[in-house]
Order: sequence, then structure tokens, then C-alpha cells
Amino acid sequence: MTLVAENTQAMTAPKDSDVVLSVQGASKKFCRDFKSALFYGMQDISSEVLGLRGDKNDKLRKKEFWALQSVSFELRRGEALGLVGKNGSGKSTLLRVIAGLIKPDVGSVMVKGRVAPLIALGAGFNPVLTGRENIYANMSILGLTKEEIDDRFDDVVAFAEIPDAIDSPVRSYSSGMQARLGFACAIHTDPDVLLIDEVLAVGDSRFRGKCFQKLHQLRESKTAFILVSHSSHTILTVCDSSVYLLKGISKGYGRTPEIINQYEKDLFTEDTNISNGFIELDPNRKSTSNGLDIESIFFRDHQGKIVNTPKTGKEITLCIKCKSERTFPKLGVTVVVKKLADGGETILSMNCMQDGKLLSINSGRYEFQTRIEKLGLLVGTYLMDIYIKDDGLYYLDSFETFRFTVESDIFSNESLYFQPRDWAVEPIE
Amino acid sequence: MVSPSSQSPEPQNRLRVPKRPSQPVAIQIYRPASEMRRPMQLFRRMGADLLASRELAWQLMKRDISAQYRESFLGVAWAVIPPIVASAGFAFAASAKVINVGTTDIPYPAYVLMSTALWQTFSEAVMLPMQKVGAARMMLAKIQFPREALILAAAGQVLFNFAIKLLLVAGMFLWFRLAVPPSIVLAPVALLHLVLLGTVLGMFLAPLSALYQDFQKGMQLLLGTWLFLTPVVYPPPSGEGLFGLLVRFNPVTPLLVTTRELITTGTISDPQGFWLVSAIVFTGLPVAWVVYRLAMPYAIERFSS
Ligand SMILES: Nc1ncnc2c1ncn2[C@@H]1O[C@H](COP(=O)(O)OP(=O)(O)OP(=O)(O)O)[C@@H](O)[C@H]1O
Ligand SMILES: [Mg+2]
Repeated sequence: MTLVAENTQAMTAPKDSDVVLSVQGASKKFCRDFKSALFYGMQDISSEVLGLRGDKNDKLRKKEFWALQSVSFELRRGEALGLVGKNGSGKSTLLRVIAGLIKPDVGSVMVKGRVAPLIALGAGFNPVLTGRENIYANMSILGLTKEEIDDRFDDVVAFAEIPDAIDSPVRSYSSGMQARLGFACAIHTDPDVLLIDEVLAVGDSRFRGKCFQKLHQLRESKTAFILVSHSSHTILTVCDSSVYLLKGISKGYGRTPEIINQYEKDLFTEDTNISNGFIELDPNRKSTSNGLDIESIFFRDHQGKIVNTPKTGKEITLCIKCKSERTFPKLGVTVVVKKLADGGETILSMNCMQDGKLLSINSGRYEFQTRIEKLGLLVGTYLMDIYIKDDGLYYLDSFETFRFTVESDIFSNESLYFQPRDWAVEPIE
Repeated sequence: MVSPSSQSPEPQNRLRVPKRPSQPVAIQIYRPASEMRRPMQLFRRMGADLLASRELAWQLMKRDISAQYRESFLGVAWAVIPPIVASAGFAFAASAKVINVGTTDIPYPAYVLMSTALWQTFSEAVMLPMQKVGAARMMLAKIQFPREALILAAAGQVLFNFAIKLLLVAGMFLWFRLAVPPSIVLAPVALLHLVLLGTVLGMFLAPLSALYQDFQKGMQLLLGTWLFLTPVVYPPPSGEGLFGLLVRFNPVTPLLVTTRELITTGTISDPQGFWLVSAIVFTGLPVAWVVYRLAMPYAIERFSS
């Protein structure tokens, strides 16, 4: 990827005064074996105290592995960087190195200004004490003086929306309330860099919306942040550029849509071996036939050429090849599209009968075509379920989880779908 | 018609919180190499962090003290109950001639009460840094803050607890109508050395105990034995035997005995011992501090995930 090369070059000379965070070849090794981990810990402490530890600790000891390997990127004032990767790919580890909580084993991290890590909400809360007391303790941990906290106290409580509970022990708070309070504390400290590790997943959707609005505001006042999330939509909405980590290695760094695309492709290639965007079904996959069998599913572009990846905003035709053994005068085809990530919610459902179109065929082979003039789906990986019914009632055949990926040349951040449109300006007499 | 300008601003757009006064932007660079290789930078940082941690330590101390006493029925009484029980027990044993202690400068119950309070202050000074670091594991793993704050908060809490015990000691003095010598004004200095000795030990052990639970458990056990090698329930022995020798070379002895003597009799029996141990404490303090600081990230990386 060209962007990686460009950025690594820029890294060697961070002249840019707007750079608030620069991570250069950061690596971190961990040990899964508990006993050895403790022993290595003692070993590391001794060499640190005796000054023996150097800048390159790139030898793995027994049972160690790289949790983070040669990760580089930089962040400028007011920029938002997304961090994606599967569970255990090293995202939290990277944030902890940036926050200075743990030392890198190779490479370095430069931070300008104050970092507020939101690696867990309410990390500093004491369950016995009241919300009020905890705000003071928590915000002074984040580096504020008492006067500064006095100043912001009302804003924090107002943002967290827990005025009634502020004088009862935090133990009696629901987890959402604790999350609200923690987030409110962190964002009211005016950090230069904010690290957010999946903490927005808790809290109801209204509060989440409020948080994103606040993040937007912070960005405008030149706060940079890194957002870790498993929701591709969140990352696409909030971040311009992203880093994709796989087993501790940075697999991509660049514009968010491309990175998300790459990530989602990887995420699901391992566990399914069906081809992407094209499938030919085994004729013997069913024991009994209802008289109509799907043979293959694929896409054609505007020239009728078979393609594997539809493009956002471009013409595309979904084709379903079938073999029929008798006459069906009133066939109904249903197509349901789900987002693969983000919990697989249905985002599009099309039914030809509802569209007032009944398809009729005789025996023989046919290709059902659903022409879509301008595709509204955004970049990402999707699953499609297809059902064919006779008279809209009697099940004939179906295929579920046909997987395909949508690519895009259109910049569509902060949108849920692509709206085909035209712009114009007309003079008025 | 309402003109747009007369609309009150949206509450979200208030941004009443002022940006912090633009201080010179601090640039932090995290490198893998040992911080010992840049000692000047290390010492500067230690100084800066110590200053920066005062406020936080105060907040943490307030938080912990109020949490410590809030969730118990007897509350503050827990600071004074252990010395009372100990002194009552020993006084009873001594009067029943179960144990045989020599003669003490002041009535035996008062002697035990006072010494137990001092001993417990020392043992708290050893244990609290470990407990604080243990309790703050979640916080340490997730937020960067001056780690010195935990130690300061621990020391503050030790002194607070001692202040409460002091009320008890004062009551005892009134009860037995004991005179207080003018040397009592020097007692806080000696007490501070005693607390520092405990803190130095605690600071050395805190990061290690975050790695291995064994350190905390072992220390607890050790303190139980150590108590009997310190003139707490008996006066300093004059004999030379193995026991006498152990008591003499016990570093707690001169500090504890001197503090007690400054409060009760005003004559110091072992000034050289006191200054020797104090010297050790004051050289040990910066060493323990450096070790604590440098070891912390390694302890954190092992227990966090
Ligand atoms: N303290 C630790 N000791 C040993 N191994 C660790 C430790 N912390 C993390 N790891 C390992 O390092 C790897 C990266 O973990 P990390 O928490 O950074 O993943 P992540 O990308 O944040 O995952 P998730 O999406 O689940 O939050 C994992 O394999 C994890 O098991
Ligand atoms: Mg994580």
C-alpha cells in the first residue's frame, strides 16, 4: 500500500509541528505462561534498575510472542484515527504503550501534550464513595487541580446526566451510569490526545450519540483521538484514517474506507471457503427438489460482464441462474442483505411481489436478474439470503449467506448508505 | 418574527470549560532503554512527578481514609482497638506473671499501649504501599498518573491513623497522671524517621508484590515475628545473648525506642543507633524511590491486559 510507504518516510523526520503523536516501529512482547511471565518481569526489572536494558530488545525469550510488531503512524492535531483488528490483535496493547503505561521493547513513541486514556471507563472509581467524591478523585488522577475540577464539576454532572445519583455510592450505579460518569470525567480534562478503547459500546444509543457529538466538538477544538471499535460503521463515521492490526502487525494504514474493506475481507475469509461475490451450487446439495433449483448466483456490471465486487453508486445486476422442471406462472424472489460485521443486522430487503412484479417461467434454465441502477450499499462485506417461492407461498429453493464485498470510489464517511443524487443551481427570474 | 440572533445558544455549544492556560507543551518520549541511562532526565522527572502528585495524593488519601472508615460500624474506632486489646492482653499476662517483663520507665499498660501504637504505625508504613499498589492495579493498568501519589497517600494515611492513636495515648497519660517532658516536641522528627523506614521497605516491595502475591503475605508473616524482636512489650534488654544481639541489630529498635523515650522520659539511651539507622533510611529512600518508579511499568505489563 502506497500510503504506508509515504507515511513511514514522513515518520523519519517529524518536522511537522502539528504532529501530536508519533509512533515509530513500536514493538511489544508478551508471555502467555504465567510463571515465566513473572520471572521475566523480575528479570526486566533488574536490568532496568541496573541500566542494562538497551533500545533494542528484539530477541524473544522462551514462550514469548510479539503482541505488537513494528507499528508506525502519526497523528496530527484534530485528527481522528481508527484502530481496527480482531480480538487479541494488539489494539489495547498499542494504546497502553502510547499512554506510557507500559514500555515498548523496540521503537519509540513521542507524545506532545496531555494524553487521556479511556481504556476502561471508571477505572479509578471507588465503589464505596459517592459520585461526587469519585469525580474529584478520578479527575485529579487525570491531572487536574482542585480548582479546575470545581470549575468543571457542573458540566461533568450535566453531561453524565446523573444529577439525582451524584451523592449516592458509585456501587449503586448501573454499569451504564458508571460509563457515563467515566466518559464525562475524561472528556472534560481537555486532553491533547484522547485514546478511546471500545468504551462507547456501553451506554444507550442516545448517550452514544451525545458522545460522538462531543467528540466532534473536541476535534474542532484540535483534540486528536484514536478510536478502537469493532463497529465498522462507527469507525467509518468518525475517522478519516485508520490502522489495521493483525496479530500485532500493522497490515494497513490509510484512508478509512479502504482499511475497513481490507479488514472485513480478512475477517471473514478464514471461516468460509465459498468464493467471494460468485457461487456455483452443487446440483446434489438437496435430497429432494421442489421443481426449481438455484444453480449459481453472481453479479453483472452495466456491460453485462460478470464481476465479483459491486461498486457503490454504480449500476449492478444480481443474477440468479435456475433450472426449472415445470411451469411457474407466479414466482416470487426475495433478497435480503445483511451487514457481515456490526451484528449482522438486515439493511436491505427486496421482494419482487411487493414491487408488483411476478415472474413467470416454463421448464428450462433461466437467469433471474435484479437490476439496480445505482447501488446504495457502502464499502464493506455483506451476506445475502435468497428465497424463491411459488405464488409467494410455496417454498421452492433458497440460498443463505451468499457473501460479497462492495467497493467504492466515493467518499462516504458519516453516511449509512449511498444516496444517488444530482446537484444543480438554477437562476430565478 | 424572532430573529435568529436572539436565540439562546444550544447548551451543547456552550463550551464553558476554558481551555487550560497554554503551558509549554510537554513532549514525552517513551523509549525501550533503561531510564538509568539518562539519569539527569530521570531525576528531573522524579522531581516533577513528586510535585505533580501532591494534589492527587491528597485526593487519594481523602478517598481512602473515608472509604476505610465509612463501611464499618465502629469506624474510626478500628484505629485504636488493636493497641487497646494488645495492651490489655499483655498487661493482664504480666500482672498474672504469665510473662515476665523487666521494669519499664512508665506503668506497664501505658508502656505497651504507647509502644504498640508506634509499632503498628511502622508496620502500616511497610504494608500500606503494597496494599495501595495492589488496590490500584486496575487504575495503574489504565491511567497514567504519577506513581509517587500512591506512596504519598499511603504515608499520609499512616500518619492520620497515628494521629488517632495519639488521642488514646494522651488519654492514657492523663489516666496515669504522667508528666510529659519538653523533649516531646522532637518526637515527631523521630516518628517521621520510623515511618520513613517502613515506607522505604514498602516501596521496595510494592512493585514486586504486584507481581508475586508472596511478598505481601511473607511480609505480613515476617512482621509478626519482627514484633517480638523489637522492644514493644518489653523494655530494651541489656543482655548480650543471641536475643539481645538480634534486638540490638534490629533497625526498628533505635527509632522506636527513641521516639518513645522522647515522649516519656526525655533521655535518649542510644543516640548513635538512632542516627545510624536514620542515615540508612535517608540513603535508602532515593534508592527505593528509583526502584519503585522503574519497576512499575514492568509490574503493570504483567498484570494488565
Ligand atoms: N499482560 C499480558 N500478558 C500476556 N499477554 C498479554 C497481556 N496483555 C495482552 N496480552 C496478549 O497480547 C495480545 C494482544 O492483546 P490486546 O489486549 O492488545 O488485544 P486487543 O486487540 O485489544 O483485543 P480486543 O479486541 O479483544 O480488545 C493478546 O494475544 C493477549 O493475549
Ligand atoms: Mg482491547
